[in-house]
Amino acid sequence: MNGEQEVKLRLDGVSKSYARGKQRHPVLDRISLTVREGEFVTLIGPSGSGKTTLFRLIGGVERPDEGQIYIGGELATGRRGLISYMPQQASLFPWMSVAANISSALASAGVPAKEAETLASRWLERIGLGAVAKQYPHVLSGGMQQRVSFLRALLMPRDIMCLDEPFAALDALTRADMQAWLLQLWEAERRSVLFVTHSIEEALTLSDRIYVLSPAPARVLAELAVPFPRPRRVGVWKDPAFVELKERVLAMLGEGAAHGR
Amino acid sequence: MANKSYRSVLLPVATLFGLALVWQASCSLFAIDPWMLPSPLDIAERMGTDAARLAEQSAATLTLALKGIGLGVGFGVVSAILFHLIPGVRTALSPVIIITQNIPLIALGPLLMLWFGFGILPKLILLVLVCYFPVAWSMLAGLGQAEPHLREYLAMIGAKRWEVLRRLELPASLPYFFSGLKITATYSISSAIVAEWLGGSEGIGHYLVLKKNGYDTAGVFSAIICIVALSLLFYGIAALLERLVIRWRPPRSEEKGGKAA
Ligand SMILES: Nc1ncnc2c1ncn2[C@@H]1O[C@H](COP(=O)(O)OP(=O)(O)OP(=O)(O)O)[C@@H](O)[C@H]1O
Ligand SMILES: [Mg+2]
Repeated sequence: MNGEQEVKLRLDGVSKSYARGKQRHPVLDRISLTVREGEFVTLIGPSGSGKTTLFRLIGGVERPDEGQIYIGGELATGRRGLISYMPQQASLFPWMSVAANISSALASAGVPAKEAETLASRWLERIGLGAVAKQYPHVLSGGMQQRVSFLRALLMPRDIMCLDEPFAALDALTRADMQAWLLQLWEAERRSVLFVTHSIEEALTLSDRIYVLSPAPARVLAELAVPFPRPRRVGVWKDPAFVELKERVLAMLGEGAAHGR
Repeated sequence: MANKSYRSVLLPVATLFGLALVWQASCSLFAIDPWMLPSPLDIAERMGTDAARLAEQSAATLTLALKGIGLGVGFGVVSAILFHLIPGVRTALSPVIIITQNIPLIALGPLLMLWFGFGILPKLILLVLVCYFPVAWSMLAGLGQAEPHLREYLAMIGAKRWEVLRRLELPASLPYFFSGLKITATYSISSAIVAEWLGGSEGIGHYLVLKKNGYDTAGVFSAIICIVALSLLFYGIAALLERLVIRWRPPRSEEKGGKAA
């Protein structure tokens, strides 16, 4: 959390626009941000502001129009296979067992097959899903599928984990549950995370730092550090400082929207 | 449960039995000549006396059909994958394939015999042409049908092309492959019959020609029963294989309905 730590992800003035018909629609406007080693960083921005697009650029699925991306200290613009990823839908392969879903992703990341299998089964055991390791994913509930999907991202030996609104499809109760679960697991593992959400509470509960984005074309409106100590209590939202921060972010998002219009 | 099995097994069997009874009764009631329309009992008797011959000829047809299916399905799968990986090949070859599919077997068969003699080669070519198309085309459709969000996930984690094929596209195309295989399975028997009819010295098709030429109508019906039995057998094997291979999910329609709700 101090400036000395290694920077795992750095975006340097990244812009992107899409051609729709004859017109070009700017989506990202000179975004710069960093995620340091073991840091949990959240992007918060209105729907359609370009957060998923930003992830696709980081994943190397698309190239930015300008600007550069560095992962693990190396130039990574347009390069694939450097991040681990947890999408909004669990995206488990229905024809693979829960364990195989995890181990095959690890194999993609270069983990030897045997090792990937032991890792997968040990960790499934550890998060209490050992009993369903050999089952097909359709027997799992939505929340359990998301846990598997998170575990799959967590275990991939890559410099940065990108989580794109992983809990958006869950009901409020399951979502609160998942937040607590993720908080606990992440605090034990301390991977470098870039997280996207619409929920200010979720951002404040989980992250070390937050980037607030404007509506499309997205600019970084503000960067703020979340001061609550780790390990975090899930009841942190009762803290007056939490409420105050929440108001600030809300105001910024509101201003951004007004400015956009 | 008992009600269900009653409906699915007993009802059709009873219908068939009833039809046979009506047939038998009409034959004796109206004193129809056996060479015009033999009664079920006449046919059963003929099948009894000719049992060894019928079994031998059926086995010959079965072998021919199996060879045809094996080669046709093999070529079908390989070319579906090639067409999928190299889009130009598909566009270039599809007119040729569509033309061959629209030439009637009855016209193609004699030509093949003219070129390749009366051995097994022309028959095999005919069968392969017939078996190839349903498998290749439905599998090709299936390879392109893979869920976009799974594709996106693999792109984001930087999976290689062959990993996308093995982990996503091939399993996703299996249901399509099997619907092609079930069509091919029944086609193969009737095409084998046509091939044997056109030339050759063994198989149910050849037997059929002999019986027809000898005005042995009961023999013709015996051959028909063998052909239908073989077709059903092939279809059954294909359906069984499908059940054995695709075990990973509840029926597709159910899943769709669940998601929409
Ligand atoms: N391939 C594309 N071609 C054209 N326009 C696109 C493409 N992908 C995204 N866009 C546009 O870019 C904008 C940003 O989309 P993006 O999915 O990145 O937003 P988002 O911030 O992830 O939204 P949400 O929070 O709803 O997921 C949208 O207006 C979208 O229509
Ligand atoms: Mg998005």
